[in-house]
Amino acid sequence: MAVETDSAPIPSADPAADVTSAGAAAHGSTTAAEHGSGGLPQFQFEHWGGQIAYLLILFVILYVLMAKVFAPRMRRVLDERAATIADAITSAKALQAEADAQADAAKRALVEARAAAQRTAVEAGAKAAAAAQAQKAALEAELSAKQAEAEGRIRVARDAAMQQLTVVATDAAEAMLEKLTGAKAPRAAVAAAVKSQG
Amino acid sequence: MEIDAAKQIGAGLATLGMIGAGIGVGNIFGSFLTGALRNPSAAASQIGNLFVGAALAEALGILSFVLGILLKYG
Amino acid sequence: MAANDPIHQFQIEKLVDFGVVNLPLFGRTELAFTNSHLAMTIAFAAVVVFMSLVTAKMQVVPGRLQTVGETLFGMIDNLASSIIGHEGRKFFPFVFTLFMFILAMNVLGLLLTFTVTSQLAITAVLGLMTIGLVIAIGFLRHGLGFFKLFVPSGVPIVLLPVIVLIEFVSFLLRPVTLALRLFGNMLGGHVALKVFAGFVVALGAMAANGGLGYFGIPGAALSLSMVVALTALECLVAFLQAFVFAVLTCIYLNDVVNLGHGH
Repeated sequence: MAVETDSAPIPSADPAADVTSAGAAAHGSTTAAEHGSGGLPQFQFEHWGGQIAYLLILFVILYVLMAKVFAPRMRRVLDERAATIADAITSAKALQAEADAQADAAKRALVEARAAAQRTAVEAGAKAAAAAQAQKAALEAELSAKQAEAEGRIRVARDAAMQQLTVVATDAAEAMLEKLTGAKAPRAAVAAAVKSQG
Repeated sequence: MEIDAAKQIGAGLATLGMIGAGIGVGNIFGSFLTGALRNPSAAASQIGNLFVGAALAEALGILSFVLGILLKYG
Repeated sequence: MAANDPIHQFQIEKLVDFGVVNLPLFGRTELAFTNSHLAMTIAFAAVVVFMSLVTAKMQVVPGRLQTVGETLFGMIDNLASSIIGHEGRKFFPFVFTLFMFILAMNVLGLLLTFTVTSQLAITAVLGLMTIGLVIAIGFLRHGLGFFKLFVPSGVPIVLLPVIVLIEFVSFLLRPVTLALRLFGNMLGGHVALKVFAGFVVALGAMAANGGLGYFGIPGAALSLSMVVALTALECLVAFLQAFVFAVLTCIYLNDVVNLGHGH
């Protein structure tokens, strides 16, 4: 404490010297420029002008390059990519629609084929049925013809038999009459009598 | 030398201002995490706001830090 | 001491000296090509080379480098159009230039060169440039209607003077916070890096003396891992500060571009 009170008047007499000595004490070996204005190098204002001017120049050049060259190039490629992606999506959608249409067509063709097959089957069934019907009819006709013929023959035979029967009956009646009466009855009268008895 | 000592003490006191910035930034990130865990799908869209908020809160702490540096070396 | 001084890294060194002039606004000004100028040139060249490489052989299906460029481009493009709206494309080159330049200066300053963005002169100019553009657009588009920016709608008439005052002060603080945020983040990060790196050297020197000094070795190792972790964090911060600068530029531009019907 005593040391400090001793040394205090000397710096207070000269504030600039105080700052300088404090700075020198804090930094030890320092450059001459550091003694100029305080300790922090950022506050050496003699360097500000040069840096600011240089920064502004570089910034303006960079801005112009960005605005005129780099950003448009980037933008173009990004837009191109967006367009490409949009195109690809559109074409994919078109392909999808086409595939859908084709699937629909295939489905329709399938349905049609199925219908045609069904129709064919029905037709074939009908044709077979008709053929069977015709055959049956022919067979029936043939059978009925045979039957009619047979019936005819039977009738002829029966008629013949009936004829024969009448003759036989007349003969028998004539004979019976002859035996009973002893007289010979006229043949025609006997036949008429037999006929009228049935 | 008393002025020098006072400057050193003042620099130390000035940097205490960063406590506030620390609390603030921690609060921001903590709140973000709470919200993000509740609704993770909305979290990604708020990252920008998160860092802007953190930067704004930190700026005041940085102010006190710069003051401290100025006091110590200026 | 000088080697370990965490502030020494921000010292501007003259590489080529052109003498001294007296300017009306800046006072005594050194005309020199300094390490700051060199770092700015490198950052500028890096941005130009990067953008040239990205855009030189642009393909619809991007390659690796083109993807990086397009990610950065798309990020700022989305930002501008989502915050400013359909007029965002007009302001996109400005925001993108700011973003790329600050990003290049931050990252190169962290890894390779002098950190230009830790110079208050630079960040102040960037902030003032942004707010100058905002004010210029405000007056060009709306004339004196620009002042409606300070009068939010739906405020009770009694509170109006207070609100207007607050809005006005917050508007004035915008360039200050823009400049100080970038400056402070870069300054703080680099000082912290230097401090921890200094610990490594100091504790290593202690260990070299032997005896109890050997206890310095774990401390040095801890400091070294701290430096590695901080470097990773600073990489994030370098990107984040450029991004935040771009976001805030968009927000401030949106205030005047869509004045009156934005909110």
